[in-house]
Amino acid sequence: MIVRPRKEDHLVIGKYTGKVIIGVGLLMLIPLATSIGFAEWDTAIDFIVAIMACFIFGYGLQVVCRTAKDLSWSHGLVVASGSWFFATALGALPHFLSGHAGSYLDTLFDVMSGYTTTGLYLLQDLDHVSMGLNMWRHLLTYAGGQGIVVIALTFLFKGTAGAYKVYVGEGKDERLLPNVIHTARAIWLVSLTWLGIGTLFLGVRGMMLGQGPVRAFFHGLWVFMGAWSTGGFAPQSYNTFWFHDIGYEVICIVIMIAGSFNFALHWAMWTGNRKEIRKNVETISFFVTLSIVTMVTTFFLAKANVYPDAMSLFRKVFYQLASGHTTTGFSTIYARSFVTQWGPVGLILTTVAMAIGASACSTGGGIKGIRMGVISKALLQDIRRMISPESAVIMEKYHHIRDTWLDDGLVRGAMTVTIAYLTLYAVGTIIGTLYGYPLEQAAFEMVSAASNTGLSCGVTSPFMPAVMKVTFILGMWLGRLEFMSVFALIGYGYAVVRGK
Amino acid sequence: MRIRTLLMVLVAAVFFVAASVSVALAQVAFPPNNPSSTELVNRMNVPGDITKGLFWNGKTVTFHGEAIGEVMIRGDYAWVHLNDDAYMEKNVEEGAKLAGYNSGMAVWVPAALTKTVDTYGDYKHEGSIVEITGTFNAACKEHGGDMDIHATSLKVLRVGHVVDDPVPAWKAALAAGLMLLAGGLYWLERRTRNRINPHRGV
Repeated sequence: MIVRPRKEDHLVIGKYTGKVIIGVGLLMLIPLATSIGFAEWDTAIDFIVAIMACFIFGYGLQVVCRTAKDLSWSHGLVVASGSWFFATALGALPHFLSGHAGSYLDTLFDVMSGYTTTGLYLLQDLDHVSMGLNMWRHLLTYAGGQGIVVIALTFLFKGTAGAYKVYVGEGKDERLLPNVIHTARAIWLVSLTWLGIGTLFLGVRGMMLGQGPVRAFFHGLWVFMGAWSTGGFAPQSYNTFWFHDIGYEVICIVIMIAGSFNFALHWAMWTGNRKEIRKNVETISFFVTLSIVTMVTTFFLAKANVYPDAMSLFRKVFYQLASGHTTTGFSTIYARSFVTQWGPVGLILTTVAMAIGASACSTGGGIKGIRMGVISKALLQDIRRMISPESAVIMEKYHHIRDTWLDDGLVRGAMTVTIAYLTLYAVGTIIGTLYGYPLEQAAFEMVSAASNTGLSCGVTSPFMPAVMKVTFILGMWLGRLEFMSVFALIGYGYAVVRGK
Repeated sequence: MRIRTLLMVLVAAVFFVAASVSVALAQVAFPPNNPSSTELVNRMNVPGDITKGLFWNGKTVTFHGEAIGEVMIRGDYAWVHLNDDAYMEKNVEEGAKLAGYNSGMAVWVPAALTKTVDTYGDYKHEGSIVEITGTFNAACKEHGGDMDIHATSLKVLRVGHVVDDPVPAWKAALAAGLMLLAGGLYWLERRTRNRINPHRGV
């Protein structure tokens, strides 16, 4: 029997959703200050409107939803997915008011893409967008990478057992420290340290490349945000192709690979456990799969004679594939070059890299390295069982912060989520092909959206059918929250209507 | 006295001619590039066969577009990015209709030639429209496989200008109204917090 949620359930969900949305409003103070700093008055007003809308929604819920009840698991999941939904709807206001979006659906697409660190966008005339709006685009993706719930946990929640349940609902389950709020702050400590160092490196490099100090700083900051969060937004429509520099690309690669690593791995390194990076199943899985796709793609493009020399070939292939595998979405080739220069084989191999994706509990998306590691180990275990005597007990373990023995429950969990991702990729691809896009291009784009990567081969555009836009939005949302929270929200809605 | 009057008339005439030329130049509609940046990226020698390369690779092209962002000088040469999209002559802030993404081409040009380009497009500026002639490289050997044009000549077709983006009155009024409402709700929340919820600060 499905139990209809009681008034208290609605109140507790409303209360915590309101807190997260107030957090989103406070976050908009940064682009507001940027707009004021650059005397972009129209943009500044756009942000005031959006901030006030967030406050009205958030404080309105605080006034209406008064309760002392703490969160349960299902509440946590609903708050996480519900917060993302409302944060998207309200976070889209500055995009919409800027006049650069074709419709509100397009702005929802862009903001969901930002929060989920995807990086696809439908904003038009990006090269004439204000500094304030550019700050918001990149801040969205930086905040989304850490998790907007993590932000709220850090600043707005004051010690509640239920906080962990919202944290998990956002697709993160690592507890770096015993207290979840301390964990959220530890995530921020790591991220902000990287922000300072990464922006400095990119900014200085930008000045060496001929950028003025102000542009070099802001481009450095935004490119860092795009790389670390594995978001892939950049301030110019040319993306990181803008810089034409191998040094800038190397810095980007280091940041995006670091951003794609599990926060638990970062924390282990931070606290002195340096060996972890060599032993961790996710880093091993990442380097193995990245090496394989890079070698195969290089081989095919070398055969096709697309690039003039080995260095250019490796530089282009490794950058796009590292970007795809970390689910960042930066590129140094034109979107259509995937079709006209890389061809179907290049498209398919990049799709594979994106589909596997980054590490769990990182800023990245995709099936995740840990699941690939667990499934590979399980396969290995089965093969060993087959070739061993019947009486032999074959055990397999993997290392992620500590050694864990494989059991059926663990493998089933990894397989379930993997199958869910593959189904999502397949459904979106079918929808794309029904609209007439070639199979490999439809698959490339849907996998890019649902793995939160953001590379495009030209399918995504402001003129693509609305159904595909909605499909991609749902793909980004489901992919980022790893299904369970969104299913919990749907279940909650169903229980409200049909429960007894 | 007569000479002074004559001089004044002369100055006025010069101003009039200059203003007329500026207005005329500002209204010039530029024909689409042939080839456009989209064509440069998309047109293959044999559709579907990447081994045969791109059609325009290695050919000399003449290309015009809005100088966007900034010039990045690298020694004797510089990178300039030219957008030949729907916003080349008028951007969204100036009221251009939305017509899709930006598109353009990266141009490698002698740095000395870029001195004539005084405005680069961004939120507050519509960049100068520049015409270049040079060789198109689908994957440039000199620049790590980048797609670019190595230009040998550069000409400014239209000087760029500052763009205004005034605040509409309705937007300012909306912001003021929402501020009042948000302030009221914040006050109400603070006032009623302790009365209803004994677990303050949760």
